[in-house]
Amino acid sequence: MKQLKLAYTSLLAKHGMGAALFVAISVTLWVVVFITLPQLSMLDYSFRFNLPADQIGTEADHYTLEQYHSFFFNSDGSFNALDITILIRTLIAALIVTMIDVLICYPIAYILAHGAKGVAARLMVIGLIIPYWINEILRAFAFRVLFGSTGVVNTWGMQMGLWDAPVDFIRADVALYCGLAYAYILLMVFPMYNAIEALDHTQVEAARDMGAPLWRVHWRVVLPMAKPGIVSGATMVFMLTAGALAAPQILGGPSSLWFTQLIYQWFNESSNWPRGSAYAVVLLVTCISFVLLMMRVFKVSVGEIGK
Amino acid sequence: MNRHTLFGGAYALAFFAFLFGPLVIMATTAFNSSRFPRVAPWECFTTGWFGELFGNARLMEGLMNSVIIGVGVVALAVPIGLAGALALSELPAKLRSMLYTVLILPILIPGVVLGISTIVLWGQITRGTGAGFLYNGYFLTIVGQITFVSAYAMLVFIARLQRFDATQTEAALDLGATPGQAFRKILLPFMAPAIGSAAFITLLASFENYNTTVFTVLSESTFTTALASKVRHGTDPSLSALAVIIITLTLVGALTNEAYQRRKEAEAGGRASRSPLYANPVTRALTHPGIVFAILVTVIGGITYAGSQYDSSVCEAAVLQEKLDRQEELRAEQRERIEAQEAEQGVTVPKPDSAFGGAFGGVGTPAAPAAPKPESPSAFGGAFGGITAPEVDE
Repeated sequence: MKQLKLAYTSLLAKHGMGAALFVAISVTLWVVVFITLPQLSMLDYSFRFNLPADQIGTEADHYTLEQYHSFFFNSDGSFNALDITILIRTLIAALIVTMIDVLICYPIAYILAHGAKGVAARLMVIGLIIPYWINEILRAFAFRVLFGSTGVVNTWGMQMGLWDAPVDFIRADVALYCGLAYAYILLMVFPMYNAIEALDHTQVEAARDMGAPLWRVHWRVVLPMAKPGIVSGATMVFMLTAGALAAPQILGGPSSLWFTQLIYQWFNESSNWPRGSAYAVVLLVTCISFVLLMMRVFKVSVGEIGK
Repeated sequence: MNRHTLFGGAYALAFFAFLFGPLVIMATTAFNSSRFPRVAPWECFTTGWFGELFGNARLMEGLMNSVIIGVGVVALAVPIGLAGALALSELPAKLRSMLYTVLILPILIPGVVLGISTIVLWGQITRGTGAGFLYNGYFLTIVGQITFVSAYAMLVFIARLQRFDATQTEAALDLGATPGQAFRKILLPFMAPAIGSAAFITLLASFENYNTTVFTVLSESTFTTALASKVRHGTDPSLSALAVIIITLTLVGALTNEAYQRRKEAEAGGRASRSPLYANPVTRALTHPGIVFAILVTVIGGITYAGSQYDSSVCEAAVLQEKLDRQEELRAEQRERIEAQEAEQGVTVPKPDSAFGGAFGGVGTPAAPAAPKPESPSAFGGAFGGITAPEVDE
């Protein structure tokens, strides 16, 4: 609190009353009204019954664990394997997508930071950004066009004689994984690039001169430098993938739901807001604890993210 | 070394093929007259999907809503982001990293969660205070999006603030400026380019957002949610046409920006200033960003005009006729087989007479021989197109 006051007086001295008030009010508003209160309110809601509007506030409206209970158990007391499987599958899928992105982005980030010069580097940066400007929905749509039963992949595959009948890539979730990996490439490349760029290229040359093979140079010299970037990018990709809604809705197979789709169904199709809130809390808590665990494992702090 | 460069180049090429391939293919399908977005079989070159896109009332209404929401979000998120960046610059290290974590969190929190928490909170506030006017799609979407969009703006401002030389403010204060004057005359002008790019990024983020908006927009729809429901409930190439438009706009923006950056670099006297392009007065004028932009707009305008004049109805009629012939052929073939079978077994098998039955006859009537298996996607499309095509080609 004292430090906050100190920061405020320093702002006041530097930028004047108007600016200091503006900063203080805006940041408070942002932190309290936009970030904290909604989450608390959702948490509160998740501990309530799904009541019709006229019963809210009456004695029927008290706190309950029923919404969380029904996430773990069915009404007959058996284990709710369906929803838990969906959650676990979403997390695993997000992890796979994140790993795909790390693998395909690392070489590009390295080339961008140490290989490409001048026009080539600039073109590469523009080339990375342009797809990111296209609407998320349209990017998913592009993969539907690509992987549909009469899509380009199927047509070429059959023409080249790789397979005879159209393969259902949508049902096999190939389209979904590709679409998600594609969607967040930029978020993986730039943190990695920033980290690798800080590496002095002479170190790579020195390692090469000493006779280290290429893989070893990367393992011992480049990767340690790139680690914060990789973790930062991986965190963003993982969280966004696990929380993705549009791509699974468009590219997901009919048999595999994403956990966000489950939440969406509770809200928009079953109109059970408390249940939806409880599921949202489950998703949020699971994702955040997973990320924090990973950060602990790789010894990186949250402050690295977004840089 | 050379081998590595070669490998790196090949990898970069493959990577960018993955990045642009899907977009190029999607853009190509916008010009194919086939009802389903695809490249092969190519039916007719058409520009009709662009017309269909602009005729889509729901999308256009969503576009309007998106603009309203976008303006609201930019107007609020940019100042909030600036405030966040300024606050971070003043706090001591420990508190700073704490606040940074809190402010950056909305980017990482799943958009679905943000959307839900926003409608739950404001729903409760509305119930508590009876202020029903707050509970509408526009307001909730703006509030919900600000939560994380402000963080994008803040990241832009932080990057710019790091290059700010604080001694400038000190000098102004020493020379007798009030702190307020120093803020307006020194810091804000320094931040101006960042304010521009933050406004652009926040507008784009607001426009593109789906996960949060789909909850907060309630019964209204924005451009992106309208688009998503269109994609989910059947696709047609008018979406590809939209992609063509967006890609074109993006490319124009990128090229103009590139020209602008080059020019700036040349004026600053770097390597670019020695380029022969800037020595010759004609090419020097031609590479001016304004001229580049004008040329691009003219070319695109010309192509758009030519495209709007193009009439593909003759070709489409021919393709339709071909499909009908093919369908007739398949049906005749099947009738023959059924008759042959009837003669053999002496039982009557219901004759499929719809176009649908022509292709899927084998499914509905188990006694009938399997319908002629389409040997290529075009045969399948032939029977399928026969049902839908007449509705389109009045």
